[in-house]
Amino acid sequence: MATRTPPVTDQAPNDTNVDAYTPPGWEKYIGWAYLVGLIISVIFLLRLPIAADAYTVTLTLTVLLVITLSTSWNWLSGFGGYTSFAHAGFFGIGSYIGALLLHYEKMHWIPVMIVAGIGCGIIGFLVGLPTLRLRGPYFAIAMLAFTELCRVIALAWDDVTLGGNGVFLPILRLQLPEENMSFWEEAQMTFHNNQNYYAMLVLATIACIWSYVLGTSRWGLKLLAIRDDEVAAQAMGIKTTYVKVTTFAGSAVFPGIAGAIYARHVGYIDPVTVFAIIWSIRAITTSIFGGRGTIIGPILGAVVLTLVSEKVWEQDPNLYQIVYGGIIILVVLFMPGGLMALLQQRNIFPRSRRI
Amino acid sequence: MSASKVNRRELMRRAAILGVSVPAMSALLAAEAGAQATPAGTVAAAPTGDPIRIGASVSTTGTNGRTGLYQQEAYLLWEAQKNASGGLLGRPVEMVLYDDQSDPTTGARLYERLITEDQVDLVMGPYASGVTQAVAQITERYGYPLLVAGASANSIWESGFRAIFGVYSVAGDYFKDIITTIAPAQDYKTAAVIYEDAVFPMSTGQGAVTTLQDQGIEVVLEESYPQKATDVSSVLTKIRDLDPDMLIGGSYLPDSVLIVRQAKELGLNPRLYAFSVGAAQPDFVETLGADANYVLGPSMWEPEIETEGNADFMAAYQQMWDRDPDYHSATGYAGCQILERAVTNVGELDLEALAEALSSLTMNTILPGEYRVDETGKQIGHIPLTVQWQDGQKIIVAPEDQQTGELNLPTPPWDERS
Amino acid sequence: MDIVQVVISGILLGGVYTLFATGLNLIFGVMKIINLGHGELMMLGAYITFFLSTSAGVNPLVSIPVAAIAMAVLGWILQFALVERVVNQPAINSLLLTFGLSTLMMGVALNLWTSNFRSVIYEPLTGSWTILTISFSRSRLVAFFIAILVTGGMWLFLKRSTFGKSIRATSQHPQVAQLCGIDVRQVRFATFALGSAMAAVSGSLIAMIFTVSPEMGRMFIGKGFAIIVLGGLGSFAGAFLGALILGVSETLTAFFTNTQIAEGVAYLILLLVLVVRPSGLFGKAEE
Repeated sequence: MATRTPPVTDQAPNDTNVDAYTPPGWEKYIGWAYLVGLIISVIFLLRLPIAADAYTVTLTLTVLLVITLSTSWNWLSGFGGYTSFAHAGFFGIGSYIGALLLHYEKMHWIPVMIVAGIGCGIIGFLVGLPTLRLRGPYFAIAMLAFTELCRVIALAWDDVTLGGNGVFLPILRLQLPEENMSFWEEAQMTFHNNQNYYAMLVLATIACIWSYVLGTSRWGLKLLAIRDDEVAAQAMGIKTTYVKVTTFAGSAVFPGIAGAIYARHVGYIDPVTVFAIIWSIRAITTSIFGGRGTIIGPILGAVVLTLVSEKVWEQDPNLYQIVYGGIIILVVLFMPGGLMALLQQRNIFPRSRRI
Repeated sequence: MSASKVNRRELMRRAAILGVSVPAMSALLAAEAGAQATPAGTVAAAPTGDPIRIGASVSTTGTNGRTGLYQQEAYLLWEAQKNASGGLLGRPVEMVLYDDQSDPTTGARLYERLITEDQVDLVMGPYASGVTQAVAQITERYGYPLLVAGASANSIWESGFRAIFGVYSVAGDYFKDIITTIAPAQDYKTAAVIYEDAVFPMSTGQGAVTTLQDQGIEVVLEESYPQKATDVSSVLTKIRDLDPDMLIGGSYLPDSVLIVRQAKELGLNPRLYAFSVGAAQPDFVETLGADANYVLGPSMWEPEIETEGNADFMAAYQQMWDRDPDYHSATGYAGCQILERAVTNVGELDLEALAEALSSLTMNTILPGEYRVDETGKQIGHIPLTVQWQDGQKIIVAPEDQQTGELNLPTPPWDERS
Repeated sequence: MDIVQVVISGILLGGVYTLFATGLNLIFGVMKIINLGHGELMMLGAYITFFLSTSAGVNPLVSIPVAAIAMAVLGWILQFALVERVVNQPAINSLLLTFGLSTLMMGVALNLWTSNFRSVIYEPLTGSWTILTISFSRSRLVAFFIAILVTGGMWLFLKRSTFGKSIRATSQHPQVAQLCGIDVRQVRFATFALGSAMAAVSGSLIAMIFTVSPEMGRMFIGKGFAIIVLGGLGSFAGAFLGALILGVSETLTAFFTNTQIAEGVAYLILLLVLVVRPSGLFGKAEE
């Protein structure tokens, strides 16, 4: 096994070159700034389905989905330094739990989402327990294998998952606007027609708040300690296995719910699509592009990168792969600290672990 | 991306494949323009007004890219013909086309985009069953009737959709002629059925199993194999031991080729081979050479059949695209014919009236049989053909009234072939 | 007799995997980088054979060295321009970089050659030779021997030649190797070039057995990981045995259950070995 090299330091929030550094004056208000920003965004996004067309709403739903994926990925892999390729696996499992429950049981959809999340959390715990002892590339390969194994199981277990046939979900038909609707009726219609969008909005919001809570907590410090030197962290009395496995299980809940919402949104899923490695890659690339190990980075990365790649895809779906591959390479080579590191170097953002 | 951009792009791509030089490519583009003046020599009033925009996404790249391209070419041929002969309801027609790269999610996104962003007036179906399943959810949500011109998995019509209409027979009926007519005549008693674990191949394979059981033929083995399988030697070894009279494969082209190759390697000798996709495609014989002989398969259409307008379709297609159509071109074109008739009957672009018209319509297309759907929208009027490769020639062996040659069975063992 | 047939098929299948996996392993051994783009290097090799044999009429067997050399050059360039920059960085950087490369190469291939499935027909290698009712697929048997030849040659090269020894030294301990006067950078370039060449050879052979398409690399990369983890990351002989074990377990599983479940064998092996014995069956215990 390769000796673990220390993480790239130009983005580490605790990199304090005290002499040359004066933080922006608003540093002490970060928490408030975050809260206000969040509230404004949520209010804006709540109104979006009334103001914008369905295409924009779907696009925003995708952005919210990627925010959920990258933010939750960041907890173990950004703060904790364990690169996980398991997000696609949890995303797929969540889609399947959600889709199958809706397909067979015809349960109300909101409890279904919660079941999908809890299911993924439990599986995350069980998978994390033996595999989180592995380090670096070994853990990464193990999680790639986990995702692939999930796909094979979904395909081979025909009796339950319907195999390669995929799963149909109940058809969501749109309510059409009528004459003289009261405000309340119109709001109900908007909500009915955009249930999945609002569900994803709630999920992404929770993920963002949780990211701040985790990032600024003692738990977050423990994760940073594990990233920087696991042996030392252990010597300091941190129960590293407990911290890692719990974080992993917690971060599995979010892609699980996101998968279930996604399944309901598209209405039809099959194993090859929902267990595609690209879901992990999306979470990883956007986190790194934004700035892994920071709170805002993954959100920023998700917004910018999703909109950019969506534009490229609109222009030419064939070029999309080439451009996406190119972006990944450029990000790794030239901005390993992501956008956040660039902004922090220019002193636009404070170098605080609270951002 | 406009329709013409896709069109041009595909031409360039095709030209690149064929090794055609740039000047030759311009000639192709000119031919495309020229084709607009061909149909039947009639001089119709030029269409006027805003174009009727018809959206579709077809897989022209990805796993099904090759077959999807045929369907897209048929759509574009129909567009060109309509615009040269007075349009639809007197208005020009514009196809708005995308490529879903054979990915169901992408397909669904593209149809949502077509409906909400591009605001097309009508839609036509995508290619392949997986994509169609995903797309049907979207068109149904927005109330657009969908003519499925490139898919046939039974499950599409078992999901409670209201306005999804099949253009050709469902996949479960693909082997019907082989099992109910050919097998009894040859006195075949046993069969092994293997199929790829994907929507369409599963439908064909499972449909075959049901038909076999109804016919009283023993199914000695039924097994699915993963998508994009690279090795099926183990299941073929099992089948070799069971020595069935028939080997039926629910398979796309690459696996049909793989199965024949490995069957030869292992000395597996059933008396009859049949594959759901492969036997009708020229690529099959190009890849396998003489080993393709004796293989049977369903076809939805063949160039030489005598149906209304088929000869004209062949001529126009060859002139516009400089190659022979495949049955996927024909189903795509038939889909357009049906849409055209329904729109003409309704007289306006009312989506609900159109869905109503499509569910009650009966008409002849270039496909054998007729267009007629049951209450779920499943196609029940189309008559699929059965073809067999004989000395590098594709012969229609069933149904009887369309035959172009005699059936050549049993398949001799590999070591007795010349 | 069936069981013997299935085992033989498995061994031949393993032979096809061998070359692919040893190339992957060589790169990992020297640089501790998991090359997610290895499948696409193989795919490019397969296309070289396809185009040479169909357009230029070159015998597919003759095209193998051409593909190997071409991909060695490409591999050298990739290492020089990109991969070298992430050596000794955290694993995530090299993983992402090589994934980016993989996506990029696949995208280029899709645009240039479309996603159509193609295959190389070489008449003398279709069908099989039969010995005592056991069939030996001609194309696979030939591929198996070429794979053994190339892998064996590589093994001798690493064992005997001075440069081969430098590669081994670097893979054991880069810092010490450098202190001993080995140009570690040069070794890395050569390793990536050699690994790419081996991927290309496996691609050329696979082109004669399976179909060629831009997505083919993705089908093999997971199996490649399973093999090298099973055999021990960085262990050359281990990768060879790992390939055979995987091939045989796959065909046996398919025979006794079905082909679908067999598809999961590689990943199950991978997870189990990582959890139970991360050094692999034939690797030395580390740490």
